[in-house]
Amino acid sequence: MFLPEFEYFAPETLEEALGLLERYGEKAKILAGGTDLLVMMKDKLLKPEVLIDISKLIELQGIQYVPEQGLTLGAATKIDEVQHSLSIQKNWRALAQAAGELGSAQVRSMATLGGNSCHASPAAETPPALVALGAKVSLACPGGEREILLENFILGNRKTALQGGEILTRFFLPEPSPRSASVYLYHALRGAMEIDMLNVAVYLALAPDLRSCQEVRIALGAVSPVPLRAEKSEVILTGSKMENSVIEAAGRLASAQASPISDLRATAQHRREVVEVLVRRALTQAYEVARAGKEVKG
Amino acid sequence: MKKLITLNINGQDFDLAVSPRDLLVDVIRKKVGLTGTKKGCGQGDCGACTVLMDGHPVLSCITLAVASQGKKIQTIEGLSEGEKLHPIQESFVEQGAVQCGYCTPGMILSAKALLDRNPDPSEEEIKQGIAGNLCRCTGYKKIVKAISAAAEKLGGKEEERVR
Repeated sequence: MFLPEFEYFAPETLEEALGLLERYGEKAKILAGGTDLLVMMKDKLLKPEVLIDISKLIELQGIQYVPEQGLTLGAATKIDEVQHSLSIQKNWRALAQAAGELGSAQVRSMATLGGNSCHASPAAETPPALVALGAKVSLACPGGEREILLENFILGNRKTALQGGEILTRFFLPEPSPRSASVYLYHALRGAMEIDMLNVAVYLALAPDLRSCQEVRIALGAVSPVPLRAEKSEVILTGSKMENSVIEAAGRLASAQASPISDLRATAQHRREVVEVLVRRALTQAYEVARAGKEVKG
Repeated sequence: MKKLITLNINGQDFDLAVSPRDLLVDVIRKKVGLTGTKKGCGQGDCGACTVLMDGHPVLSCITLAVASQGKKIQTIEGLSEGEKLHPIQESFVEQGAVQCGYCTPGMILSAKALLDRNPDPSEEEIKQGIAGNLCRCTGYKKIVKAISAAAEKLGGKEEERVR
């Protein structure tokens, strides 16, 4: 299997990369890890005339934690760096869990966090975790930069809010509440190299009584073209005691809100049933971890 | 149009003329002549083409050769010291973890990347480490055993050095 012909650029600064993107417009594609793009080009699904390799851009690298504020991740951060980051494992655990489930060790050392969101596959691992954690993305263009919520960035199957000439540069995750936890769960047909049939990410912050929910975000993956916020579940949870009856109701509401399709991995009906189970389990786990509080968060 | 690039493979620099579309696996096999790296699915699923790049396992069938400049690339040929096999290779032979052999180079390099990061992996961690390498002969059991035996050998070696 061969790649079609294209011209290759490896700019060294963001400014240079934006200049190239402005010059070549629609003819160009951004090359990050290549694990989706090059496979699609081999399959002749995409035929860009120009590839702009962003792996040399220092502006897109690195994980930086600012206490009291949150975490900034360069868009070119490799998935395995996210998976193994102690800071992410501790404070943004759902993201480390999602990163650890993406592809294989090889794919994780090549693929980037930015690429996983820009590719905008409905079954992607990291976007639901990022949405549940309240992630924002920075988009740079020759004139400047804008910041939007990730949930407003992913617009549909392979569709994003990126406009011509824009490059996704950074993710920002707000500092989690001290009485909070996040959990990522998935369901798939086999143990490795699979595409999730379904995934669920939950961020739960407890009120000072450690029994009721102060804030919650639930994101469902692979049951809609975009990571879906289970808003109805969030509404009944917020302010309620985290009792089984409430958690069960939240699961049912999430299942009702999901709009899955039937495909080779599962029927829509099966996905709906699994959503309910995973939401319930994720909330229960998040509640246990959040309630254990400081000991667990170290 | 061809570009002139330099690739550092197994510690040696190779000056090569490549087209941007040339994949690392093809350049390693056809231009450099190191055929230990195998080409399987061509889509990044089977892991036969795994090489190490700055110590990380990457799929050379979905990596551009032009994008591989400035990195330290290691292929299976760079693992042994002359005739002396690397402890992971030794363990694969001793445990009978090689049958047809096609997956072996990629499997061994994935194992090396794992053991470099995690010198004492659990069985589950070994399975995770080679989850991106398909073997259609062995059923994996002997491969997992070989990697675990190699971890012991490498750990033992380290202790000797410390003493």
